[in-house]
Amino acid sequence: MSITSLKPLNLTFPDTWWRRNQMWVTPLLLLLPAAVVFTIFVIIPIFQSITLSFYDWDGINPKKWVGFSNYTELFGDEVFWKAIFNNIWWLFAFMLGPVFGLALALFLNQNVRGIRLAKSLFFFPFVISQVVVGLVFGWFFNSQFGLLNELLSHFGVEPLALIEGENTATFVVILAGLWPQVSYCMILYLTGLTAMNGEVIEAARMDGAKGWNLLWHIILPQLRPATFIAVVVSVVGALRSFDLVSIMTLGGPYNSSTVLAYMMYEQTFLNFRYGYGAAIATVLFIIMDVYIAFFLYSMLKREAR
Amino acid sequence: MAEVSLQNVRKSFGAVDVIKGVDLQVNDGEFCVFVGPSGCGKSTLLRMIAGLEEISSGELKIGGKDMTKVPPSNRGVAMVFQSYALYPHMSVEENIGFGLKMAKVPKADIEARVAYASKMLQLDTLRQRKPGQLSGGQRQRVAIGRAIVREPGVFLFDEPLSNLDAALRVQMRTELSQLHQDLKSTMIYVTHDQIEAMTMADKIVVLSAGLIEQVGSPLELYHRPKNLFVAQFIGSPKMNVVPAKVAAVSGDIAHVSVDGGSMLALPLRGGKVSVGDVVSLGIRPEHMSVSSEGVMQATVKLAERLGSETMLHLSGPGGAAIIVRSDGLASEKPGDVVALTMPAGCCHLFDAAGIAIVNGALI
Repeated sequence: MSITSLKPLNLTFPDTWWRRNQMWVTPLLLLLPAAVVFTIFVIIPIFQSITLSFYDWDGINPKKWVGFSNYTELFGDEVFWKAIFNNIWWLFAFMLGPVFGLALALFLNQNVRGIRLAKSLFFFPFVISQVVVGLVFGWFFNSQFGLLNELLSHFGVEPLALIEGENTATFVVILAGLWPQVSYCMILYLTGLTAMNGEVIEAARMDGAKGWNLLWHIILPQLRPATFIAVVVSVVGALRSFDLVSIMTLGGPYNSSTVLAYMMYEQTFLNFRYGYGAAIATVLFIIMDVYIAFFLYSMLKREAR
Repeated sequence: MAEVSLQNVRKSFGAVDVIKGVDLQVNDGEFCVFVGPSGCGKSTLLRMIAGLEEISSGELKIGGKDMTKVPPSNRGVAMVFQSYALYPHMSVEENIGFGLKMAKVPKADIEARVAYASKMLQLDTLRQRKPGQLSGGQRQRVAIGRAIVREPGVFLFDEPLSNLDAALRVQMRTELSQLHQDLKSTMIYVTHDQIEAMTMADKIVVLSAGLIEQVGSPLELYHRPKNLFVAQFIGSPKMNVVPAKVAAVSGDIAHVSVDGGSMLALPLRGGKVSVGDVVSLGIRPEHMSVSSEGVMQATVKLAERLGSETMLHLSGPGGAAIIVRSDGLASEKPGDVVALTMPAGCCHLFDAAGIAIVNGALI
C-alpha cells in the first residue's frame, strides 16, 4: 500500500489559551498544593510561635503579654544552658556519622557473595523506628537487668549505671542516636561510590595512588556531594534530637541529658508553659537558621562556580 | 624503552577462561595493535599487561624483568583509558602531574614536565581548566599527557578514540602516530576498529575468543591471512568468500569449481589439496572486476557510489553475496547481470576448517 492511498492527515493543532500559556501555568499549578500546605502548616505556625514567646500562657487562661521576660528567664535558666551544651555534644558526636558511614561504605562496596544482604543489614538501624532504637539501647544499658552489665558480670566487672548517671546519660543517648545516623551516611556514601567511574580509580592506581592517598586525593573529592549531604543531615539530626531523649532518659537524671527540643516539649506540654516553650522554640529556630543560611550560602557558592 | 613479552598467559574469571594461553613478543619501540571483535579478550589482555587484572597463569616480562605480580604503578607502563578517566576534581595540570606527585617528584620537576607535556599536546592555554570544561579531543590529550609525563617504557591505549566523533578520530589517529614517532616508546593499542589497526600499527595482533589468531604487519595480515577469521576481520568491505570444490589437481595447479559452474586454475604454491575437497575461495573486493572475460556471473543488487569508487553489491551463483570495488564512474546499475574476473594471484583458498591452504601471491 502506498502512502498516498491513505487519508490525508491534519497535523495542525487548535491555538487555545491553554496551549499558549501552559509553559508557565503548569509549574504554578504543580507548586500550588505544596505552597498552600507549607504556608498553613509551617510558615504561619512559625510566626505564631514567635508571637507566643512574648506571652505567658498556660493553654487555658487568657494570654498575658510579658514582653521579653520569657527570654530573660530562659537565659538565666541553668537547664537551658545544659540543653545547649548537650546539643553541642550531639553536634560533635554526630560528625562521627559521616566518618563511620564512609568507612562502612568503603568496606561494603565490594562484589562478594551475600553483599546485598550485608548492606541491607547495615542499613537496618535507619529503617527501624527511633522508638525501637531507644528501647533497645535503654534496655541494653539498664543498670539492673541490662545486657551490658550481664556481660560485664562474667568478667567480674562491677555493674555500671551509665544511663542513670548524671555525667554519662547524654553519651548513651548520643550513642543510640549515632547508630541509625551511621547507617544513613553509609547509604549516602554507597550511592556515591556506585556512581563513581571505575576507570578513574584504575587510572589512579596506575599513577601510583593507593591506600590513604587514593582515598584522600581521588575518592573523597569525588564523594564531596555525598559528604555535604551527610554532614547536613547529621547536623540537623543532632540539633533536632528529641525522640531518643524522650524514650531513654526523659532528659534526666536532673535534666542532665536534656536537649533544646526536649526542654521545649517538657516546658510546653508537661509544665503547660506555652510562652516559655515557644521562647525555647524560637531560640532553636534561630540556631537552625544561622546554620541553614551558612549551608545555603556555601551550596550556592559552589553551584556558581 | 622496553619490550613486552607474554608467555602462555592465561586469565580466568571463576570457571570462565577469558584468555586461553597467549604468547606474544612486542619489541622495543613497536606500535602494536590488539584487534578483534567485542568480547575477544583484547581489553582484558591489555589490562593484564597494565596490572589492573591479575594474571591467572603464565609470565609477563617488561623490559626483560618479570612483572607478572608487580603492582601497576611499578611496571613502568602508563595507560590511556577509553573513558579518559580524568580526575574530575583536578585541573588539567593537576591531572597530568598527579602520578609524579604520588611518586614524590620535587615540585619544580613536576612543573617542568607538566609544562613540557602541555606544550607538546597544545594544552598550554587550558592548564587551569577542569575536565568538565574540556571537549572530548582535549580530554583525550590530557589523558595522553598524564601518560607522557611518567616517561613510561610502554604506553597502553584502551580504545582511546572510540568516544570521539569521526573527524576528530582521524585527526587523533595521525597525532598518535606522530607521538609514537617522537617518543619512540613501545605502544600497545587496543581497538575494534580495523582501520585504526591498519593505519597505525607496526604489528597487529588479531584476537578471537581469548586466543591469538595471527600476528603480523598490517599488509601481511591483509594479504596473507592464516585463516578465514583474519581474512574476513581485516579489510573493509570484507573479503568475499564463495564456497568451492576442488575438481582436479595437476601438479602445482588446482582446478577449483566455484558453485555456479565456473572453473578456476589456481597455483597451489606448496599448498596441499585433494580432488573433491570442499574449500572456500576468498578474494578481496578490489581484486575483482567487471569484465567481459569474467569467470563468474552475478547480478548487481546495489551500487554504492562513493565518488572515488563504487561498491557494487552483487548476488553471485547460489545467491552468494559479493562486493566488488569498482571505478567511481562505473556504469553498472541494479539489475544488470555482469561477469566478474578473479585473478588467480589474488585468490585465497581455505579448507573446510577455515585454515588457509593458499594465500594470494601479491606479497
